[in-house]
Amino acid sequence: MNQPPPSAARPRPPIPMWVALALVLLLLTLGFGIALPQFLTARNLSLLLIEYAITGILALGMLLVILPGHVDLSAGSGVGLIGGIAAVLMVRHAVPAPLAMGLALLIALLLWRAQGWLVVRQGIPAFIVTLGGLLIGKGLFWLTIHNTTVPIASGNTDNLLSLLTTYYLPQQVSLGILILVAAILGWLFLADVRAEHAHRLTTGRLSLPLPELPFVGWLIIVQSLLVLILLCGRFRGVPLPLLLLGLVGSGVYVLTKHTRLGRHLYAIGGNEEAARLSGVPVARVVLAAFTILGGLVALTGFLQTAYAGASTTTVGELMELDAVAACVIGGASLRGGRGEVSGVLLGALIMVVLLNGLSLWAVPPEARLIARGLVLGLSAWLDTRLQAKGSRAA
Amino acid sequence: MNPSPPTTPALALTGIGKRFAGVVALSDVDWSVERGEIHALCGENGAGKSTLLKILAGVHPAGSYTGDYQIFGQPARLPDVAAARAMGVAIIHQELALCDELSVAENMTLGMERTGRWGFLDHRRARLDAHAVLARLGTGLQPQDRVSLLSVGQRQMVEIGRALLQRSRVLILDEPTASLSAQEVTVLLRLLHTLRAQGTTCIYVSHRLPELSEIADRVTVLRDGRRVLTAPMQSVSSAEIVSAMCGRTLLSADAVADPLRPPPTPSAVLTVRELSVGTPSDPLHDRLQQISFTLHAGEILGLAGLLGAGRSELLRHLYGAYGHRRHGDVTLHGHPYHPASPEQALLAGVALVSEDRRRDGLVLDHPVHWNLSLSSLRALSTRLGLLDAQREVRRNLAMGENVHIKSAAGAGTFRLNAGSLSGGNQQKVALGKALLTDPQVLLLDEPTRGVDLLAKHDIYQLIDALCRRGMAVLVASSELPELLRLCHRVLVLRAGRLVCQLPADQLSEQSLLLAAAQGVAPPASDDRADLLP
Repeated sequence: MNQPPPSAARPRPPIPMWVALALVLLLLTLGFGIALPQFLTARNLSLLLIEYAITGILALGMLLVILPGHVDLSAGSGVGLIGGIAAVLMVRHAVPAPLAMGLALLIALLLWRAQGWLVVRQGIPAFIVTLGGLLIGKGLFWLTIHNTTVPIASGNTDNLLSLLTTYYLPQQVSLGILILVAAILGWLFLADVRAEHAHRLTTGRLSLPLPELPFVGWLIIVQSLLVLILLCGRFRGVPLPLLLLGLVGSGVYVLTKHTRLGRHLYAIGGNEEAARLSGVPVARVVLAAFTILGGLVALTGFLQTAYAGASTTTVGELMELDAVAACVIGGASLRGGRGEVSGVLLGALIMVVLLNGLSLWAVPPEARLIARGLVLGLSAWLDTRLQAKGSRAA
Repeated sequence: MNPSPPTTPALALTGIGKRFAGVVALSDVDWSVERGEIHALCGENGAGKSTLLKILAGVHPAGSYTGDYQIFGQPARLPDVAAARAMGVAIIHQELALCDELSVAENMTLGMERTGRWGFLDHRRARLDAHAVLARLGTGLQPQDRVSLLSVGQRQMVEIGRALLQRSRVLILDEPTASLSAQEVTVLLRLLHTLRAQGTTCIYVSHRLPELSEIADRVTVLRDGRRVLTAPMQSVSSAEIVSAMCGRTLLSADAVADPLRPPPTPSAVLTVRELSVGTPSDPLHDRLQQISFTLHAGEILGLAGLLGAGRSELLRHLYGAYGHRRHGDVTLHGHPYHPASPEQALLAGVALVSEDRRRDGLVLDHPVHWNLSLSSLRALSTRLGLLDAQREVRRNLAMGENVHIKSAAGAGTFRLNAGSLSGGNQQKVALGKALLTDPQVLLLDEPTRGVDLLAKHDIYQLIDALCRRGMAVLVASSELPELLRLCHRVLVLRAGRLVCQLPADQLSEQSLLLAAAQGVAPPASDDRADLLP
């Protein structure tokens, strides 16, 4: 209680969470790298990146409903269902891949909008709505594929769906994208520095862990991306899903930080009544978040089904929990109002490295389940710890 | 460990001082409460009452204040509320802390449940204990009654019973009658007499002087963090207490209206005709009935009334945030105005600064800068749908200057979380947020509640300035001096109806009080004088 006067208080320093996450990631990577010679091979790295992209995209969607204080437990069975619908349409009904995927996407948007409607208009807690959605989605999924295995392509022909996880970007294209990204980031950093000088107030374009050293931050990002591209080049190149993750990540970042919708998501999670009285159309905003999540569930469904090579009854199982765990590990609060794209991306990476390493290690599936549960519990504990600290600081 | 001699007071404070962020909340308070007395504590908002109570009850732990505190002669170095309870001091807050779905007995024994031999709850024992206390209090409550079915007054009885069951010897009642009906007040006062006869010491905080003179043995008045009066209740008149409470000389400019302020223009901005509004839970029950008035450009119109008169409900309804319009119409600049949500109200040019900024005004764990923008993001959106960060910064900095948001952190204040600011600065952020929407009508609900004197001064000046620029302001306040200071004209509400309109030349505390209480059944009208300054 003997706190410094509030007027002099600084905002909580943002470092510890980042350092902790980076450290965990480093330790995991080192540990697996030493214990398993095949972990750090270019081939496994490429697979890991695909898995990362899949988990990451779903987690970014999850972030959008976690920010206003909701949750989606139906995402995992939705991944299976939507992938299954696309596969069945293509293989059993000979619908062209783009059309099949378009239809499946539409169904996903409608389903998630309906769930959002139940949450905001009928006032049923999202936990219950989406728990029902999990069960119904799973049932519909098995019904769709008749409890069998539906391949995503007939014979050895490629289609849009199967190419999602088998296409690799040519190295020149990757490098070209890198240059573009470096240029955009550099420009944004510069604008930020200038604004900071002009107003002593950040415009918050890029909230990176090193706000005082924008150039260093830029260098670190660009160099890590370069190393990543070079490493990928030793296998087949940068996998397409990673590019998709980059696009979705940038999109969600811009949405959360630089649009009204994003501000409103944080406001609703931070104090729903204050948001309502400030003129935030709470119902519309939450509906929009659920709808966008539906779209990302569909994308994840296509990727995961393509990665598995076929739609089978287990596709997407427990993925909702990985997505929630990624958000929470990355510092999002399940009570809403707090969470960053960068944190979620880091959280998803930790989750994926852990799962990939454990499966390489030939850890039996039952132990992997337990490890997943422990990570989820650990991250939730971290969440409450941080919140306790936050409230004490306030 | 010696048994204290019977002459030691129940509570004794010597030289108590407490500061918040450099602002003195209490200074050098010496105070003692005798055993078995009912001691009234009065003071204006911000006089230091709640700080004092929080020290007594262990909310502000030992070490966070200076001075000495003794309970029944024992030095009290309380680390928390539980320690205060253990030493026999219990506080009963205005907002009651009961579990709705549990029974009276379960609530009363909560946290100190007795168990039988096998570790199971001893329900019978709990009921008996609760029954004994309830009978002693002379309430008609049964231990097995469900709390969700009780009235506010009955719930208060349960809280008091709980404190007694936990062997509290000093009860602190913080504005216990604020939300009670006249009849419930009578019951409560009778109960306090019973308690006093049984030797319990009570500290009774209230603004309602008639109640105090009926119940209290002695009275203490705080003003600006100091104790200015302690006297036997019989020896002081209500007038003396009032003058002790507001006898300030500080910022005397805040006591009178701005003499240079122009009169309102004759152009009507908001016209309300025969408005009746149903409650959200029961649309057939009218919360507001037959209200008609006109708000002009450049006018500051006050809303007075007792607690529960419907002031906040009227403001919120005009903001699209309360109730269902049953009858009547409202026009804004001659066009029908029927906002279904705050969003629509803001689009039409009507903004509200709500009563409780912490609960529904600000998002406390987000920065000031971010909070300021929240209502006016539409104006910042570029054609691509992205927010113009540069413009946002410039605009918010200018508004910060305008409403005088200032702290030791300088420009860095904008990066602080809103929750870390003082009440005054928070209120200015809430005001700034509303003003950034560029409204034509500003609805203010208790604009200076829980705000220090300097900030109050700033806010009054700001409202004057807005009015000079032609804004129409509707301000609800329970502080009569505030209405006298600010308003061109005051509307008085009672039980959801407009009782009268008082023009500037008829405004006085007496006229307002009289109008607010008019028509209440005669004996009760004296009890409900909570409008005293």
